[in-house]
Amino acid sequence: MSSAREIAVLLEQAEAQRSLGNHRGATQLAQRALGLDPDHAASHAVLAVILLDARRLRAAGIEARAALALDGNDGFVHRAAAHVLLAERKLDDAWAHCLVALDGPSATPGAYVLGARIRILQGEHAHALELLEEALALDPGHGDALTELARLALRAGDLAEAAQRIGLALEADPVDRAAHVVAGFIDLARGDTTGAEQHARFVLAQHATSHDGLALWAAIQARRSWLLGAWWRWNLWVSQRDERQRLAALLGTFVAVRVAVILADELGYPGASDALRYAWFGLCAYTWIAPAIFRRMLARSLETVRLDPDF
Amino acid sequence: MTYQIADEPIDTQLGSYVVHPSAPLLAIMLAGAWLSWPWFAFNAIAMGSPTRRREIALCAAAFAGTGALAAIAIALIQRGVIPDGAPIRLTVLAIVTFKLGMTYYISIVQDRTFHVYEYYGGTVRDARRVLAAGWLLRGLVVGLSDHPLWIIIVAGGW
Repeated sequence: MSSAREIAVLLEQAEAQRSLGNHRGATQLAQRALGLDPDHAASHAVLAVILLDARRLRAAGIEARAALALDGNDGFVHRAAAHVLLAERKLDDAWAHCLVALDGPSATPGAYVLGARIRILQGEHAHALELLEEALALDPGHGDALTELARLALRAGDLAEAAQRIGLALEADPVDRAAHVVAGFIDLARGDTTGAEQHARFVLAQHATSHDGLALWAAIQARRSWLLGAWWRWNLWVSQRDERQRLAALLGTFVAVRVAVILADELGYPGASDALRYAWFGLCAYTWIAPAIFRRMLARSLETVRLDPDF
Repeated sequence: MTYQIADEPIDTQLGSYVVHPSAPLLAIMLAGAWLSWPWFAFNAIAMGSPTRRREIALCAAAFAGTGALAAIAIALIQRGVIPDGAPIRLTVLAIVTFKLGMTYYISIVQDRTFHVYEYYGGTVRDARRVLAAGWLLRGLVVGLSDHPLWIIIVAGGW
């Protein structure tokens, strides 16, 4: 087999493993492809997307940049770069690369959905809707586009619209994990934890380490416990911020509490100062203990999920 | 021949001494910087972190930065520029915030490699004994010198 053919086969297998959620297997296959030709742009791009799925953002960024340096005209390479930049929350750059991917043969429904995800985070919901409609014009049963439309409706609080869209997505592909996750969150928003749990169980049975599936499962468990629910919401808020924002928020809270303690002491309110110290200690203890309890609770509840024999 | 990914840790002989980065992070509060920052540096080497030079440089910068801030603060206090009471406490708070900020940032950087290290099946040691020993020894270490510069640098950030 020629080297180019071998690389193409390896990348095809890597994509297949990625779609099954086998990140390690997919990574090894892409690494083998790059072992045959370290200057193969598409291999770097495929590896970037796999690493992104495995939440190895730094390495994904390096691979995406290597792919762009090797072939700056390939739409697929630009799409991979847009994926990585979206995860890095560099939305303007992500959109610029997505525009290149949307020009020419790489303008697939998937590229339109990626563009819509970027535009949503940029606050351009109307444009995101247009892009999703374009994806559906190319493929009326495109599950990702329908799921994204449902997610948009859920975010807008339109549960009826969200349920209708996700119904169509599940009709198009009854085993689509992303659609089941959104369907679960819609059920959760309606207060139907049993329905949400069914969707979560389905997702986790197919793919036990699915990040979105575990997030849904955790959200269901948090809904059942007020104390852990508070931690879950805090964690969600933190996870939506980048590292600098997180650092600023944590240090800002620490400084605000300490300054308040010093002021309370200086102004002659020792009771208030003590109360603030105890509250801070309680918060610190809670943020150390809650994740451990939450993970234990989650692990215990996950033991009841039966894995699909094909997993 | 396989391709090496940028964030893949390299094999080291010290792999069995790797701890979760939250352990040295907790050490800044329970024991002090004297334990936390060298522990981060050791952990980076033991893990074979591809960013170990950066992590070690950050640990060195944390020591140097704290030393510089503390020296400036002590000089200003001795010359009466910073008066007693709340201004001194706020000055110390600024230094503590710098220490905590650096520690948290180092833990973020190390956390990225740690996830990949775990992903490839790396072993992780329980750090509770070291933390407990650090907590017991903190008075001894801080008391090695009564110079305020020493105390500010090695003390914790709780």
